[in-house]
Order: sequence, then structure tokens, then C-alpha cells
Amino acid sequence: MAKASAAAAAAPPALDVQKYRRFHEQMVHIREFEETCHRAFQRGGHGINGYVHVYSGEEAIAVGIIGALREDDYFLGHYRDHAYALARGTDPGAVMAEICGKATGTSKGKGGSMHICDAERGFYGGYGIVGGNVPIALGLGKAIRYRGGDQICVCFFGDGSMNQGAFHETLNMCQLYKLPVLWVVENNKYAMGTSIERSHANPDLTDRINSYAMKRECIDGQDVVKLHTRVSEIVKEMRETHEPFFLECDTYRYHGHGAADGPVTQKTYRTREEVEFWRQRDPILILERVLMEQKALSEEERDRIHQEARNAAEAALRFSDESPNPTPDELLKDVYA
Amino acid sequence: MAQLRYIDALKLALTEEMDRDDSVFIVGEEVGQYQGTLGLTGGFLQKYGPERVVDTPISEVGIIGMAIGSAMAGLRPVAEMMRMDFSLPAYDQIAQHAAKIRYMFGGQFKVPMVVRGPSGVGNQLSAQHSQSLETLFAHIPGLKVAVPATPADAKGLLKTAIRDDNPVMFLESLRMYMEKPERLEAIQPGLSEVPDDPEWMVPFGQAQVLREGTDVTLISYSTMSIACLRAANQLAEQNISAEVVDLRTLLPLDMETPLRSLKKTHRAVVVQEQWGLYGCAAEISAQLAERGFYDLDAPVQRVTGAFVPMPYSKPLEDLAYPNADDIVAAAKRTLFAQ
Repeated sequence: MAKASAAAAAAPPALDVQKYRRFHEQMVHIREFEETCHRAFQRGGHGINGYVHVYSGEEAIAVGIIGALREDDYFLGHYRDHAYALARGTDPGAVMAEICGKATGTSKGKGGSMHICDAERGFYGGYGIVGGNVPIALGLGKAIRYRGGDQICVCFFGDGSMNQGAFHETLNMCQLYKLPVLWVVENNKYAMGTSIERSHANPDLTDRINSYAMKRECIDGQDVVKLHTRVSEIVKEMRETHEPFFLECDTYRYHGHGAADGPVTQKTYRTREEVEFWRQRDPILILERVLMEQKALSEEERDRIHQEARNAAEAALRFSDESPNPTPDELLKDVYA
Repeated sequence: MAQLRYIDALKLALTEEMDRDDSVFIVGEEVGQYQGTLGLTGGFLQKYGPERVVDTPISEVGIIGMAIGSAMAGLRPVAEMMRMDFSLPAYDQIAQHAAKIRYMFGGQFKVPMVVRGPSGVGNQLSAQHSQSLETLFAHIPGLKVAVPATPADAKGLLKTAIRDDNPVMFLESLRMYMEKPERLEAIQPGLSEVPDDPEWMVPFGQAQVLREGTDVTLISYSTMSIACLRAANQLAEQNISAEVVDLRTLLPLDMETPLRSLKKTHRAVVVQEQWGLYGCAAEISAQLAERGFYDLDAPVQRVTGAFVPMPYSKPLEDLAYPNADDIVAAAKRTLFAQ
């Protein structure tokens, strides 16, 4: 009897198949977008010359967390930022055009890959300075509290940010004032080429948050079902308590830090075996396995979705290629409001 | 028209704007319970409450970040730096974030915030508490920089800064804070007068002629504009008529007013409290040379502080920044007078 009820309690709730099929599509679209972007950088000729940091391997985080938000919530991120916009429904053509510096880009070609944003959809931007976006999230949290709503703000950052002073000033203040910010560290194990072990005196990132007396948790960043389910609970609680939460997502990036961090430089800090290990924990594969077990996705559908995503990414690149460059009169616009 | 101290004019501006607009709030160290380190925000916490008067840890990066994010979301934060020197830990938030957000996001966001605090030489505050850092801010596109000299401008420019939709660095003159109105009136009648009208404001990018003259133009801002008035008084005793142009804001910079004055006097002295090398006075001198070359009867003279960290010892400190005598000497150089 006791055994049976324990089993019942442990049984996962019925999967919201429609939602996770949508998440699956989004993740595949992000993957193909990023791979297309990466190839376009390597190929050259599309206008991508600056820094490009792709998100392949980390898709479950953007999709699972942004998918738990309401339309009036805020979120912001760092320079590996294409996926945040795509997960929120920003037009992939406009994102690709921004990466390529075109007038049709999200920032009219003035920001580039690291500075995608979508004010209308609550995406308050990608920032190029490690940890620089963290204090800004504090301000968005402050604005929410000031107006008395139950919105939340999500701040995405990498493990490298946690060694910036800005991070520690901010987390202390956030807990002190109890501002509704969900702090999400995408622990992909490397700050550029420097591993967690080589840069954090305490490599347990969640443990480092003890000193701020903030609610905290470490979660598998590759399993979007688990991640999204837990984040939905956290977000619900935050809307009631208005208090901050620190969430560490255990994840990995397949490509180098940026597009310029190729196989040669990557050899200085990680092995092929390590990359291969994480590719076996691929967030898309994991979700496909779940959906297929539930008979919610067939192999044909899966292949069709991947093909559609490739086509969509190519279409985004084509849109960008056909888009005009910014006109010279744009140079001096938008410095001041 | 009331005669006010500079600090009281600042307080009046903050009070009027906080009364007028619920989205204005103050964030900084010791602004609330302590009533402001110099008393500027005395009574504010009691009147406006802790959501609008935010006491912070000694965390300038966090303070500026809170201002930026809340400004992007539509509030109008006024971040106080206990001294503007303390903005340096947050220079990344100011120069890399606040200043650039509008441009790098293609105009999707506004950042209507003010970073304000006392600036410049005090009374033996030594190397790390005596700086005038306006050059570091005026060099960055996307920021605005206000440097009020008089009580009236302290009020009128601060109100404009709060209502501006861009990040404004508002550098107040520490030495002017407590100057009694009667002392200011002795330098020049009317110098301490502040209009009562709460809608009276001073627009950015409009320099003012603080004193009219015909022989030489003295150009400066903040505390040094007052030093220029003292110098003009001394020059008058020697029958030299000096015009004093006070720039009020460095970004935007009004060069039309100094150039118009130069057409009249044909001589110019540019004064900056601190380091001259690559400084604001250098920029203004360059523009006078580029645009006013044919009006000049003598080389533009710069009067700037010694290129040293501020020394503590009073006799050394006195040597480290310009005074009225230095300005008088420079004015006479332009007139080839002894």
C-alpha cells in the first residue's frame, strides 16, 4: 500500500505533448539557425565579421525558461544571445540580418550578434561585457517592484560572470531588497578557454550563492522537460513572493567560445572526448526520446521538422543577404533619444 | 526670486521633481536614514518612503545598474554618488552600458537617468576624493554632462537632467555647495538668486554670459566659472574688461556663445579645475582655434590644474588647482600686458 502510493507520487505528471512538441520545434530551429550562422561565418561573404557566439548544445535553457514566462515579463542576456530572441518569437530574418549588420536587423545593423534585442517582446538585450548585464537586471527588478506588479525578470549569464565584482554587488542587493529576478547561470564549464576548476575557488556555483542567503538550485540544463517543469514552479512562486531565485543550469556548448575559437584553440582547453560525451546528452535528442516514447513524435515528423528548420535558417540568411546595408545617414542616429 | 545656497537649490530641484513625477526616485549611499552625507536629502526618506529613497550598500556598480535597468523600464532614477570619484568602479556600467544601450540596440530603448554628486577639489580631501572627472564622461558618446556653476543652474539644470531621456552625468561643485548667498552676492550681485517658478528650467547646450566685457573672454564651467568672476573683478581694478562665459553643459557643448564672445574680445582664456592634458579645456581651445582663428588677436591660453594626484598638504593643494590670480595672469598674457 505504502509502496504503491510512493510509486504514484513518483510518477511524472502527464506530459503536455503540444507544449513540448512546440519546444522541440523551437529547439531544432535554434540549432539549425546557429549552425547556419556558424557556417556562414566560416564561409564568409555574408557580412559576419565581428564576434559570433552560438548556442548549440544549450537550447533547452532558453526555450524551457523563456517558455515559462508571461508576455509582460522581462529578460536579458549576454552575448550568446540569438536563442533568447528566437525562443521568444522574434523574426529569425531580423535576427540573422542583425548578425550580418543589415538595415533590417533588430538593431538596424548597429549592434551585431552580441546585441540582439526585442523591446516589444520584453527582451532587454544581449550585452557584450561579461557580467555587465547583471546589474541592469537588478534595475528591471526594481522597476517591477516599484510599480507593484507580479512580473518577473530573468537574467541569463555564464559561469564566467560569477567572477566579476558586478555580479556579487548585484546579487547581494537583489536579495537585500527582495527583487523578483530569476538569475540563470548557464554553466557551460568554460569562460572562454578557462575551465570552472581553473577560475572558481569553489567550483560549486550554486554553493557560492550561500553567502547571499538567496534561494538557489542546480538543475540539469539538457533536459527541457525537467527544466521547464521546475522553472514553471519557481516562476509561479516568485509571482507570489516577489523574491529572487538563483538557478544553475548544467550545460555545455559544442562550438568554441566564439566563432574564432576553432578546433586548434579548443584543443588547448578541452578534449574531443569531452565534447562527444556532452553530445550524447544533447537536449534535442533527450526531448526526442521522450516524445517518441510517448508516441508524440514519429521519425518522419522529426526528420521533417529538422528539414523545415534548416530551410527556415537558410531563408533567414537569404533574407539577410538580400537586405540593404544601413545608409550613411544612420551613422549618427540613435546616439541620443 | 530667492537667494539660495547651491546645495539648497539642488535639494529644491529634487523635491520639485519628486513631487511632480512619481517615476523619479533616488538611489545611493546614505541618502535615506542618514539624511544624505551633506544633508542634501534630509527628510526625503520620511517624505517619500524607502521605495523612492533607496539606501544602498557601498556598491556603486549595483547602484548604477539599478538606475540603468529601471530607466530602461520607464522610471527616472537619480543615482547619487557620495562623491563623483566613486563612480569609477561603475565606469563600465556608465560608459559601456548606459551610454551605449540606445545606439547598440538601434534606438529601441531610452535610458532616462541621472548620476549626480559632488565633484572637484574640496578642503584637503587628497588624491582619491578631489577629482573633476568630467573629461572621462564628456568623451563618451551617448552621455550628457552637466556642470552647473551657480545655485540657479544647479536647480535649473538638475530639473532638465531629470526630465531628459538620456543618461546625464551631473557633476556638482563641492566647493560651491555651502557658499553663503551673501558671499556669492559679494562676488557679483544676483549670483545666488534662484527663480521660484517650479517650471523654470535651464536647457542643456546653452552657455551663458555671466558677466559682460570687451577685452578678453574667460571660458569655464562649474567652480572655475566662479573663479573667473573673481578674476574679472580683479581685472576690472586694472581697467581690463573681461567677459565670463559659463558653459553649463559640456555634452552637449555650446560653442556658439564663446565664439560670439570671441568676435567681440578677440582674446580667450579657457579654465579647467583639473588636469589640462587631453582635457575639456583642450577641446574648447581646439574649437576656438579651428572656428575662431581669424577672430583671435592672441593665442588661446589655458589655465588648468597641476598634472598630479591631489596632494593633501594645504599649501601643496592650493598650488594644484587654478585660482583667480592664475586666470588674471593668463588674461594679461592674451593682452600682452604685464
